[in-house]
Amino acid sequence: MSHDLILFDGVSKFYGEVLGVNKVDLQIPPGITSLVGPNGSGKTTLMNLMAGLIHPGSGSVYVRGISPFAPEKLMRILGYATQYDAAPRGITGLDFVRAGLLLHGFPPAEAARRAEAAIATVSLTHAAQRKIAAYSKGMRQRIRLAQAIAHDPAVLVLDEPLNGLDPLVRAETIALFRNYAARGHHVILSSHVLQEVDVFSDQVILIANGRIVAEGAIRSVRDEIHEHPSQFLLQCRQPARVAALLFEQAEILEARIDPAGSGLRVLTRQRAAFADAIQRIALSGVAIDGLLPVDENVDALYEYLIGGGK
Amino acid sequence: MNQIWIIARLEIRRAFFSRRALWVYLLALFPAALFLGRGVSVNYDRREYAAKPVTPATLLDRLPTGTTDKDALAAAGPPIRDRQWRRGKVEHRSLHYFDGYNRVWLQFENGALQSTRRVPLHSFAQDSRIYAGVFQYFYLRLAVFFGCLGIFLNLFRGEMIDKSLHYWFLAPVRREILVLGKYCAGLIAAAVIFGGGALLSFGALLSYQTTADIETYLRTEALAHGFWYVLAAVLGCAGYGSVFLAAGLVLRNPIIPALVMLLWESINGFLPELLQKLSVLHYLQSLCPVPAPLDPSAPPLARMILSPAAPASAWTALPGLLVVTALVLYLATRTARRLEINYGAE
Repeated sequence: MSHDLILFDGVSKFYGEVLGVNKVDLQIPPGITSLVGPNGSGKTTLMNLMAGLIHPGSGSVYVRGISPFAPEKLMRILGYATQYDAAPRGITGLDFVRAGLLLHGFPPAEAARRAEAAIATVSLTHAAQRKIAAYSKGMRQRIRLAQAIAHDPAVLVLDEPLNGLDPLVRAETIALFRNYAARGHHVILSSHVLQEVDVFSDQVILIANGRIVAEGAIRSVRDEIHEHPSQFLLQCRQPARVAALLFEQAEILEARIDPAGSGLRVLTRQRAAFADAIQRIALSGVAIDGLLPVDENVDALYEYLIGGGK
Repeated sequence: MNQIWIIARLEIRRAFFSRRALWVYLLALFPAALFLGRGVSVNYDRREYAAKPVTPATLLDRLPTGTTDKDALAAAGPPIRDRQWRRGKVEHRSLHYFDGYNRVWLQFENGALQSTRRVPLHSFAQDSRIYAGVFQYFYLRLAVFFGCLGIFLNLFRGEMIDKSLHYWFLAPVRREILVLGKYCAGLIAAAVIFGGGALLSFGALLSYQTTADIETYLRTEALAHGFWYVLAAVLGCAGYGSVFLAAGLVLRNPIIPALVMLLWESINGFLPELLQKLSVLHYLQSLCPVPAPLDPSAPPLARMILSPAAPASAWTALPGLLVVTALVLYLATRTARRLEINYGAE
């Protein structure tokens, strides 16, 4: 049993007749892992299984060696900001976070200190004494995040954590995730904001219809998709000449001048040969300003593997 | 234990002041209000009759059946009230006297004394029996029963409806501990509300008794009676609370467990002896210090529902009830271990 992985072993979960997830096998290493998939694909089900809010119909789940059937152990290392918007009635933000810490066994003074620190981390200090019922959607999102991080868990599970956050807080929150991951912790999150996921995720898990479609680092997942040729943006000042040279020296399928005027868009199935050709062209004196992969991102993977229905 | 106490402390305000359960206070305070009202009525009668003429009981007792109304008036003097009416061919007359303790009605038909009816202006013994009836037939069977339904069912089911139960499940707490913590919160609230209600109503019963009655009662049984009434109410909360907490874990509709439990408790007196022991009311009735009066002229169905099961001794009832409670709580904790958050189904 690995103590630094999150393991799903043949996990299936049905809600009556409705499929949640089916035969999921996963090994999630520390770092930021994004669950990506259409609505109803099973992202939240996977997160709820990790946290023990639901139990698998078959298979088993272990989070850093701990079964979700032992919440008294699991919740000491796991913080989960769910998508459920409700909060206990009549409670202030500070009391909400503090109550969770008291259940963790922190002495009252320490619980209060940690609660204040967690609330400050999500930039909600000004509203800490207000009742959660009076919070906006974004503030409720942040207070749930504060509760999830208050006990400094090794596994942070976040269901759509960036929803409703303004750009500044969003950037701060992403920085928080990165900080967590850099300390060897797990950050598991689901998001529909694919561009953002692309920027901060160490790896992605693509889900559709309760099945894992792909998992791993974005680049390696992209490499496995052979039916779609790779797309590159070749930044250069002589796109027509470069296109002619490429057709001579590499097996490219298509080369089009970028409509934005920034260079050449190229389609190829031979990435290595293409890279060699670019190197040769550059060495021959033709100016190449840059080479950017266009479809090595979650958006493209999503499009290729799941389809357009994001 | 520490976690149980922390959970209970976090939950207790909700248990006391749940918006869904404010009617619980009305149920708990109803007997106290009833006996306070009775006290007002008794005191009013006392003041009224203090100004009325007193006819010695010995004088009224000497009037045999058949005495004419004129002879009775001559012997007993003018009555407090003299009512005459005719029904068919019979001339009725009622002479109302007060002998200093009882209200006495001499009933005449066609001028001849037929009967003498005595009603004490106030009787502590009678009030004590009425209290026993109200306590067992209303308080234990209905008020504590439905009060616990409101408090304990809310502990889990209410959180599922509010979609906030997952916060508890995300705490590093064993589900068994969570169940016990919530149960303790509900029990503390219910015990304070219904134990307090029992104490208040018992106090209300004593509040209008004569000084002599109170002194005698305090010297003899008052403390023991008060203790057993409060204990019965608190144990009722413990027993019913465990059942409704367990029901809240598995059932969505509170009407179903309430009806099933009410039916079970109602027919308990007719069940085999072994099954009677699986009733909360069976033990509670055994703990009550004064037997509840059951009018023999009551309809058969009412008698069937109200008649108590075979009584157990207080010292058997106490552990018996605690064993039933512990058994139900054990089943509840087993259920909680498998409980899932599925608000979509609520």
